[in-house]
Amino acid sequence: MTAHLLSIIVAAPALAALVVLLLPSSARLAIRVASLAGALVSLAGSVVALASYDRHAGGLQRVEDVALVPSMGIHLRLALDGWGGPLLLLTGIIIVAGVAASWTLASRDKEYFVLLLVLVAGVFGVFVSQDLMVFFLFYEVAVLPMYLLIGIWGASHAVPAKGPFARAWRVFSVGDKQYAAMKLTLMLLVGSAAILVAIFAMYIGAGARSFDLADLAAAHFDRRMQLWAFPLVWLGFGTLAGVFPFHTWSPDGHASAPTAVSMLHAGVLMKLGAFGVMRIGMVLLPEGATAWMPVVGGVAALNVLYGAFCAMSQSDLKYIIAYSSVSHMGVVMLGAATLTPEGWNGAVFQMVAHGIMTGLFFSLVGLVYERAHTRSVPLMGGFAHVMPGVAAFFTLACLSSLGLPGTAGFVSEFLVFLGAWHSGHYAWAIPGVVGAFITAIYVLRGTRAIFWGPGPSERFHALTDARGTEWVAPIMLGVCLVLFGLWPRVILDSIDTGTTAWLARLLAVGGNAL
Amino acid sequence: MSDLLILWLPLAVGALTVLALLVDALSPPPASGRAVGWLVVAGLTATLGATFFVDVAGPAAHGAYEASAWTLALQRLFLAAGVIAALGGVDHVAARAPKRAGEYWLLLLASITGMTLLAGARDLILLVVAFELMGIPLYVLAAFAKTDGDRAGVRDRRPSEAALKLYLVGATSTAVTLFGLALLTGMTCATRLDALTATPLQPLATLGALLMLAGFGYKVGVVPFHMWVPDTYQGAWTPFVAFLSVAPKAAGVAALTQVFVLGLGAQHDRWLPALMMLAFLSMAVGNLLALPQTDARRLLAYSGVAQMGYALLGVAAIGEQGAAMTLFFLTSYVFTNMGAFLVVHAVAEGGGGHDLDGLRGLAGRAPGLAAALLCFILSLAGIPFAVGFWAKLYVFLAAWQAGLGGLVIAGVALAALGIFYYLQVLRAAYMTDARGLAAPVVGAPLKLAIGLCLAAVLGFGLWPGPLVEGTARAAHALLTAAAR
Repeated sequence: MTAHLLSIIVAAPALAALVVLLLPSSARLAIRVASLAGALVSLAGSVVALASYDRHAGGLQRVEDVALVPSMGIHLRLALDGWGGPLLLLTGIIIVAGVAASWTLASRDKEYFVLLLVLVAGVFGVFVSQDLMVFFLFYEVAVLPMYLLIGIWGASHAVPAKGPFARAWRVFSVGDKQYAAMKLTLMLLVGSAAILVAIFAMYIGAGARSFDLADLAAAHFDRRMQLWAFPLVWLGFGTLAGVFPFHTWSPDGHASAPTAVSMLHAGVLMKLGAFGVMRIGMVLLPEGATAWMPVVGGVAALNVLYGAFCAMSQSDLKYIIAYSSVSHMGVVMLGAATLTPEGWNGAVFQMVAHGIMTGLFFSLVGLVYERAHTRSVPLMGGFAHVMPGVAAFFTLACLSSLGLPGTAGFVSEFLVFLGAWHSGHYAWAIPGVVGAFITAIYVLRGTRAIFWGPGPSERFHALTDARGTEWVAPIMLGVCLVLFGLWPRVILDSIDTGTTAWLARLLAVGGNAL
Repeated sequence: MSDLLILWLPLAVGALTVLALLVDALSPPPASGRAVGWLVVAGLTATLGATFFVDVAGPAAHGAYEASAWTLALQRLFLAAGVIAALGGVDHVAARAPKRAGEYWLLLLASITGMTLLAGARDLILLVVAFELMGIPLYVLAAFAKTDGDRAGVRDRRPSEAALKLYLVGATSTAVTLFGLALLTGMTCATRLDALTATPLQPLATLGALLMLAGFGYKVGVVPFHMWVPDTYQGAWTPFVAFLSVAPKAAGVAALTQVFVLGLGAQHDRWLPALMMLAFLSMAVGNLLALPQTDARRLLAYSGVAQMGYALLGVAAIGEQGAAMTLFFLTSYVFTNMGAFLVVHAVAEGGGGHDLDGLRGLAGRAPGLAAALLCFILSLAGIPFAVGFWAKLYVFLAAWQAGLGGLVIAGVALAALGIFYYLQVLRAAYMTDARGLAAPVVGAPLKLAIGLCLAAVLGFGLWPGPLVEGTARAAHALLTAAAR
């Protein structure tokens, strides 16, 4: 049984999706229970996988290998590495919280849960794939259901556009859920096309025998090829990670998406992008990576600042959180670009920390929106009087967002800035720290405007605090946020194992090129 | 082995045609239509089943025909397409043309006979004759929709236009092909494909080869010879279009592979640029013109033009890898596109018409059909785990390995662009209200046909290994047979 732990983690949501598909759509409780069961199995499996990962042995563990297309060297090869455990855990936490947050969904719930589960099976698959083609397959599976999830269950024009571009936005129907879904899908698939070209180059450059990541890492690619292939991987995966200027799908997409989808997308999917850049781009193309690193780091620093400034000027609550994701993903990319152990550990830790934090944010925003039927911050105020629990958790998320010690956000930002300093790119640390400062401004201002101050206006007197299953997501995510902040070693030790192995090789090969 | 034994499969389909003719002639008209339809289904299924037990290989008719793994793989594909087309059309044909149903099935069988012969043709003359045997019945079949409006007293001119366009283009392309054939054989003194390999091409022979390329290009419907495709698809019966859009095209691309990769592979510097141009134009024009379409059939027509561009990439890769990947692509395309057209047909019969708007609210009205459409569209768009993903991946990979990097990058970019119109179909099916449309009533045979396509699309998509190995063996058999 445990020999196939990874396949169980990946297959559980997919099987649950199949079960849901066979249930009649009137069996609403059964659909939810089946979905939750699939998610819980994966979460439990992730916990076991992380706990049982032998940090001293390191390397790939729990290897499972099934030949998919033997003649071309495509294997369904799953294995756990140092980074896999924490990221699986993140995905497990978010999907359980996401299913719980979708409990009250009203329309077409059967299709919704099927798509959600298929998507998350893809995410789990990416984190444990050790074969480039299978990695890409799972990646695509994780991206595509988003189109339907946002297009069908999303929200349109929650806050009407204002300002100088309002007219242009109306013409292009910006803010419409179908616009957001199409934009997101097309941008991400164009990114995939770029990745695919780079995959071809790597596969053929390594002798066209195998897609195994270890084989590809051992192959020595032509330097010129690396120099043009790395940007394709960086921008291809980077589109999903919200790399400037290809981040524009993310605010629209996250704002239009239903709660659980925003949680999954900002919480986990954007991490797939950053994970892809690091695991595929930097590890497989070391010379290209080292040569391009100043650009990657510079753009990441820009991301941090630009995302923070954008978030500061929003009045739609979901857009604030969405832009803050762009900013925080910049921290991940900044950590990756430092090519130092601290920076990489910080980057992966930030993936987890930000995933949980933004999941918490979006689940709370969903609760607020469901009750207040508005996302416009200026209309709100004093909500803490009527929903104290939500207010408390929202404040907790804010504190992690601005990097308060004792929350997970602090650990990752500290590590990333330390890495930036160590890498000799002092200039990167400055925008990073300034970004954290601006984050403090907009999150605190936002919280104050929504929750604190005098009691809510007449219109919002009847709002209630979270109830029943609605508590599951905030409590789970809030506890994790504090747990990882106070006791980062739970996941940091495992992350460090992965970082050490890959970074040593990258610097050995790519260092000569510096 | 005797020639008759080696030619057993085309002969069997031919015999089935005669049997169908007898049944049609001897039974009274109203009942005969459905009976002949089911006879076609049973006969083709039996022949398809028999291919797994009859093991023949080798040349026949002095090397003009050869039974090999390549031949067999294609023949199975054509038979499967025939079975699905017959299942998908049996109700429609019996309802729309009860008196002429027998003719419909005879013509369909005649066309399939031509295809099965074409798959084994290793001689230019036989190849062109088989091509015509396949093509001429299609002109007639395209015109069957002509009398659709008669009972209601309305005369729709589109079916006539559809058939006439197909006929005129087809006749022209035949003339062009024959002229090219005459030049090529006249200059090289060879009709056997394996004899062509050794002959250096004189300029006039090159012209002949290019004319043949153009002639086949018309049939396959690649740009700039694609004009007939959307109009014919829009005018003819959709179950027939489901067949027309896949089997003859697969046959055409297979013929291209046989003539150009097997026969003229060594002289590729003469024709490869032209083929690459056709591939690029098809991908570009097909994908771009599909964007503004609002009729599902026209959208699928332009998408098909683009798909044929991808298929030509595999041919342009020249060699075993390329031929294998082309075959894989064709297999994927046959099941995917037939499935998509059959779903469109089922929806249109349910009262929605053929417009994309007719798909509105399908997810609510008919979740099964909508889910099937989702799979077919994702497969056409090249999204895993549908077989179309592997198909596109493989032709791109083969072309990349053959050094056609620029063409691959253009193809990948255009394919990404093409996602837009595929998503439009899904948008119509999933994100709109049904507004006054009821759930379409789908007959059991049509359901079975769609189910078969779906099973192939998902089955090969989840487990592509065996099909990859099979196509690799087939390509090996085709191209090493030449070296022998």
